[in-house]
Amino acid sequence: MNADFESKLQRQPLRELPRDWRAEILAAASGLRDRGEGATLLTDEDEVGRAVLCPPRRARSARPTSSDGISTWPSLRAWAALAAVWLVIFLLHVAAPDEPRLARNSPAMTLQSFARLHEQTLMMAQFPSQTDVAEPPVAPPSPPKPRSEMPRKQLIG
Amino acid sequence: MGSSPDIERLYDKHATALFAFLLNLLRNEADTFDVMQELFIKLGRRPALLEGVREERGFVLRLAHNAAIDLIRRNDARERNYDQLAREQISLFAKSPDPDEQIFREKLAEALGELPPDQRAVVHLKLWEKLTFEAIAETLEIPLNTAASRYRYGLDKLRDRLRPLYDEIK
Repeated sequence: MNADFESKLQRQPLRELPRDWRAEILAAASGLRDRGEGATLLTDEDEVGRAVLCPPRRARSARPTSSDGISTWPSLRAWAALAAVWLVIFLLHVAAPDEPRLARNSPAMTLQSFARLHEQTLMMAQFPSQTDVAEPPVAPPSPPKPRSEMPRKQLIG
Repeated sequence: MGSSPDIERLYDKHATALFAFLLNLLRNEADTFDVMQELFIKLGRRPALLEGVREERGFVLRLAHNAAIDLIRRNDARERNYDQLAREQISLFAKSPDPDEQIFREKLAEALGELPPDQRAVVHLKLWEKLTFEAIAETLEIPLNTAASRYRYGLDKLRDRLRPLYDEIK
C-alpha cells in the first residue's frame, strides 16, 4: 500500500506559478542589480545562503488585520477625536483663573499671626514632654576588681 | 532596465519548483511572493553565489528554505497565526475536473498543513521534487537519517489522515 499511496501523492499536480509574478520579480531583481545596491536585502556574509529578509512587500504584515489580533491601527477619526479632546482641555485651562479658589479665600498671613505663632511655640516648649520624664539614673557598672581582691569562695567555687 | 539573461534563465528553470515548495512551507501566497522576490534579488545582486555550485536546483531550494524559516522565525509573534494558516485550505494543487480527485487534493493540502514544517519540507522534496534522501539532507542541511525518518513520519501521518478517502477512490 505504501508504494501505491506514495505514487498516488506524486501524481497530484502542483498548482502553477502565477504568470504575472515573472515580470515583477525579474524587474525587482534586475533593478537592484543595475543600481548596484541592496536596499531590501541584508545578507549574512558568513553563512552563504541564509537570507535575512526585510519586511515583505506583499505580506500580511504590511498592514495588520483583525486576524493579527491588533485593533489599534491608527484611524483618522480616532486621532481627530483625541485632538479635539486635548483642545477642549487646553481651552479650559486657559480660561480658568490663575489663582486657585482656596488660596484666594484664605486670609493673608500677617506679621501679627507670625508673632502669635512664635509665642505659642515658646509656650509649648516650657511644658515637659513625655520623653522628658527622666527615668531613675542607672549606676554605671563598677570596674572589675582585680582577682586578688575577689572573695576566696568565689575563686574556689 | 532589462533583466539579466542569467536571472531570467534561473527564474524560468527554478521558479515553479520554488513556488510550490515555498507555498507548501509558508501556506501563504503573499509570503511566497516576497521570499521568491528577495531570493532573486539576492541572486541578481550576487551572481557569484552560484559559482561552483554542483546542484543548482538544490542550492536555490536551500536558499528558499532558509529564507522561509527565517521569515517564520522573525514573525514569532504571529506564530499562532502561522499554525492557523497551516491548517487553512490553500490551493496547493491544480484543480481537478473530477470531484473525487478534487476533494482528495483539498484534503491532501489540508493534511500537509498539519505536518510540522520540517517534515513537510522533506515530504515535499521527496514526492514532488523527486530528490533522493542524500540530496534532501544536503539541501536542508540535516543528517541523512533525519531526512529519512522525517519522511517516514510525515508519510505515515498523511496515510492515516487520508486513508478513508484514499480507500474510497482507489
